[in-house]
Amino acid sequence: MQIKICSRCILPDTFPGIKFDDNGVCNHCRREEKALAKASGKKSDYIKHLDELIKNKRDSAPVYDVIMAFSGGKDSSYTLKLLKDRYDLRILAYTFDNHFVSPFAFENIKKITDKLKVDLVQFRLPWTAGKEFFSLTAKKDIFSKATMLRASSICTTCIGIVKALVLKTALEMSIPLVAFGWSPGQAPIQSAMMKTNPALNRQTQKAFLKAFPGETKKRITPYMLPDSYYEIYKDRFPYNIHPLAFFDYNEEKIKVELETIGWELPSDTDTNSSNCLLNAYANHCHIIRNGFHPYVWEIANMVRQGVMDRDEGMEKIYTDQNADMVAFAQEKLGL
Amino acid sequence: MSNARDKIKEFIIENFLFGEVEGLKEDTSFLDEGIIDSTGILELVNFLEEEFEIRIDDEELVPENLDSINNVAAYLEKKL
Repeated sequence: MQIKICSRCILPDTFPGIKFDDNGVCNHCRREEKALAKASGKKSDYIKHLDELIKNKRDSAPVYDVIMAFSGGKDSSYTLKLLKDRYDLRILAYTFDNHFVSPFAFENIKKITDKLKVDLVQFRLPWTAGKEFFSLTAKKDIFSKATMLRASSICTTCIGIVKALVLKTALEMSIPLVAFGWSPGQAPIQSAMMKTNPALNRQTQKAFLKAFPGETKKRITPYMLPDSYYEIYKDRFPYNIHPLAFFDYNEEKIKVELETIGWELPSDTDTNSSNCLLNAYANHCHIIRNGFHPYVWEIANMVRQGVMDRDEGMEKIYTDQNADMVAFAQEKLGL
Repeated sequence: MSNARDKIKEFIIENFLFGEVEGLKEDTSFLDEGIIDSTGILELVNFLEEEFEIRIDDEELVPENLDSINNVAAYLEKKL
């Protein structure tokens, strides 16, 4: 059956709740018109705010100014470079090994942190835990329908662990800034620079954990922020920063710039990831269950914002998942 | 304020409940009921800032201000 796609962005008619007007433009594009008209002024304001925030936070902590969630992929590598080149911060790069990190990405992680002279820690959970979490979320969607609009169950699980681990480390080491390489399409610009609110964090973490069945919940809980931290470290909650939401973003330019410091585009990942060998299977499972690609919201936002060409967006979203990569992850998970 | 309340409700229903209003009461917790997740809260903030031309400060990003239609409406009443 032929799907209908928004004539402006790339959202399909299978996207829950979508409506099209007579010109074939979706309700999300219409709703964003006002915000997009003000976007460029807003971006330069955010750059000034980040400059100011960094000026205030620099050297305020014992060892590191910022902890960076670093996957070795294009966006987090570029963010790391930006934080080093523009601000010369004391950075702790933090890599979560989910057992599906591409060997290319590991090489990039080593090259980039060496070249930028950045300290790196790697956190690897045992395979039994990884297999349990990712098999469960490959088999069914355990999160709310709203969460499924923006990411697959597998990715939501993985990023939920990453966010908790970097926050824990920031609190323990008194690091005032937590950086992510989120693309301009992944979250609204308002969240690109925001102090972590303990009460809100506690409630969203509770909702995240609630999605897991009993025994699995017990095994994933140690990776989350312990309740005691909200009291012990109540004065240390850091700012989250996602600089790519407001700095110039162009995938091709980013790749070219990264190549100057030794980063290489992996040949073993899918079109929506430059670090993860589980992503194609995560996408495949999501598309089968939900009828739309889990990256379509992010890529549609980027097309709408003009940071990605619509044809490129269409190619990323409406190209079949690589069958070999899907089979690789499925087999590794024993499914 | 009832107009603001209607706009909030409409935003939640259109973007997170896909038109299904069943189960959404004025005091339903968005987070506890899985209606909105952490990214969804940020989208709600984005909507409130754009629609009502307000600036939401970091310290105002608490469940008491954002976690139900009643909470958001009460917060907006103070803000506007």
